[in-house]
Amino acid sequence: VKAKATDRNETIRTVDGWRSGQPSRLAARICVLGLILTVAAAWGTKNIDDTTEQRLLEQQTAQAGAVLSTAILLIQQPLANALIVHPTDAPGETEAFEKLIGGSVGTDKLFVHASLWRKRGDGLSRLTAVGVAPALSDAAATQAYLKASFSKATFTVTRATVGSQTRIAYALADLVTGYVVYAERAIPANRRAPVDSNSAFADLNYAIYFGPKTETSALSTTDVDPKALPLTGTTATTEVPFGDTVLTVVTSPRHHLGAPLSQGLPLILVGGGLILIAIAIATSRVLMRRRHEAEDSAALAIGMSERLQRALLPLKIPAIPQLEVAVEYVAGVQGVDIGGDWYSVVALDPDHFGFVIGDVSGRGIDAVAVMARARFTLRAYLLRGDSPEKALSESSRQFDISEDGHIATTMVGIGNWRTGVITVANAGHCVPLLLSQGDARYIEIATGPPLGTGPFTFAATTFAMNEGDTLFCFTDGLIERRTEDIDVGMERLAATVAGEGGRSVAQLVDITVRTLRGEQAEDDVAVLAFRRIDS
Amino acid sequence: VSSTADLGPCRLIVQGEVDVASVPLLLDEARELLATGPFRLEVDLEAVTFIDSSGLGALVRVRNEAKEQGIAVTLANVSDSTQRLLQLSGLHHVFEIGLDE
Repeated sequence: VKAKATDRNETIRTVDGWRSGQPSRLAARICVLGLILTVAAAWGTKNIDDTTEQRLLEQQTAQAGAVLSTAILLIQQPLANALIVHPTDAPGETEAFEKLIGGSVGTDKLFVHASLWRKRGDGLSRLTAVGVAPALSDAAATQAYLKASFSKATFTVTRATVGSQTRIAYALADLVTGYVVYAERAIPANRRAPVDSNSAFADLNYAIYFGPKTETSALSTTDVDPKALPLTGTTATTEVPFGDTVLTVVTSPRHHLGAPLSQGLPLILVGGGLILIAIAIATSRVLMRRRHEAEDSAALAIGMSERLQRALLPLKIPAIPQLEVAVEYVAGVQGVDIGGDWYSVVALDPDHFGFVIGDVSGRGIDAVAVMARARFTLRAYLLRGDSPEKALSESSRQFDISEDGHIATTMVGIGNWRTGVITVANAGHCVPLLLSQGDARYIEIATGPPLGTGPFTFAATTFAMNEGDTLFCFTDGLIERRTEDIDVGMERLAATVAGEGGRSVAQLVDITVRTLRGEQAEDDVAVLAFRRIDS
Repeated sequence: VSSTADLGPCRLIVQGEVDVASVPLLLDEARELLATGPFRLEVDLEAVTFIDSSGLGALVRVRNEAKEQGIAVTLANVSDSTQRLLQLSGLHHVFEIGLDE
């Protein structure tokens, strides 16, 4: 049960925390969390998309490579065919070769030059040639190149230039017959590969290099400005066998290869994420504002009942001759419903004064209402001239816990300031301390049940206060602790009051309340103390 | 707060801290027992560790409501400290306090 009350305090403390600058912190947290999630999601989809793109590019590049291989086969085939014709050395016998290869030689044909050679001893002699003059014109270089082709199972390839034109030179040798076919093929001035009209190249930018290295000097064909090479961004590379060497094909996608959604998804996620963050922040702000409004009204309610409580306590204690009076009221922990403690001092006639201290059980506005009724009822009886026991007996018929929901403990007294004779009657309230010559003791008072339990006939107790004596009346908030017997609290109070007995009444009350009340005390406390002073 | 409904007298066992927070529970349990129409209700306070004025008020309330229905209420197994509280608050005039069992 105590835990429950503590929880309530906790809640209120948290609520206070919310109020001091936390809304922007919450918004910042939502913002940061949202951004992290958004970025992570966008990054993830981007990653997936990149991987997909790379895979698609590699697939397409492989297809392009296959197309290129086919094209190479088509180039090689006429050369291979030409070797099959086995011409003799006799003049005119080369006609068959000229016929066979002639269809593939010429401007806009496969080759610009083709020639047939035969091994004789260590050297090679040219039997016939068709087309333009070869770029490989140096006799020794030609002999060396053609001889080398005998050591290769496939055709050999090299590059040769004539003027600004680059040509690819092919040589294919037949070890058995000693014939060699030589041909040159021009690389188009625009550097476009004839194969790039094939659909396999449709989505790709490409650069085909002669040999395994991708250096500018080895560039064979490309569809981009050679100055813009090498290709950057997402690229794929594949090698295609080309005679005794390879063609290296480097590609990059011209546009997004995968589904358009896959490319747009990261952006969509970022956009959607930002919108969601904005909505979350706006919503949290609205909720926070409502919460604040609710808190404001709750705080208003607490503030109002506390103000009501204080308003019901006497504004001013009447001055009684030769009497030094001090009162104090301390509310319970902020935010906990207020209690119904009260005190009252009233001047009755030239000699007498009345005093009351009381405590309504429970808390909240209802308790305060019962307190107000008890306070003014008792005050009215005292002003009418009733004795304390009569005032209580009358009041006991006017309070009923079944109707009010509360009981009220109260002690009522009438004192004569000239004689120091005090008469009190008690309805279940804590008995007061009499501080006399440094000694504090509880006064034995006939105690009846609290108001609200039912009609009761109270008895009076009379005692005398000497000059200098102090009567210390209080409510149980000053002595009650959950973990100990009530007597322990009572003894602690008596010791404290005795110890501070040398002080003025106001100081005594102040110090005692501050000493005995914990910071987190839930119950409220009322104290009424008065001292007879020298005439 | 727990209760055992025997034949004849009813027993309401109150445990722990009885304060403004637990009073509604105590009242609910007590009223349920009273509704069964026993001729006597025993409120066992042996396991009570703390009781404040709201708790005492609740006991008064149970006693008054029982009285209206013609049911007697007895406090049983009252500890010394609770006994002292009842005395200080004048409630020993109101309650019939049974002998410890």
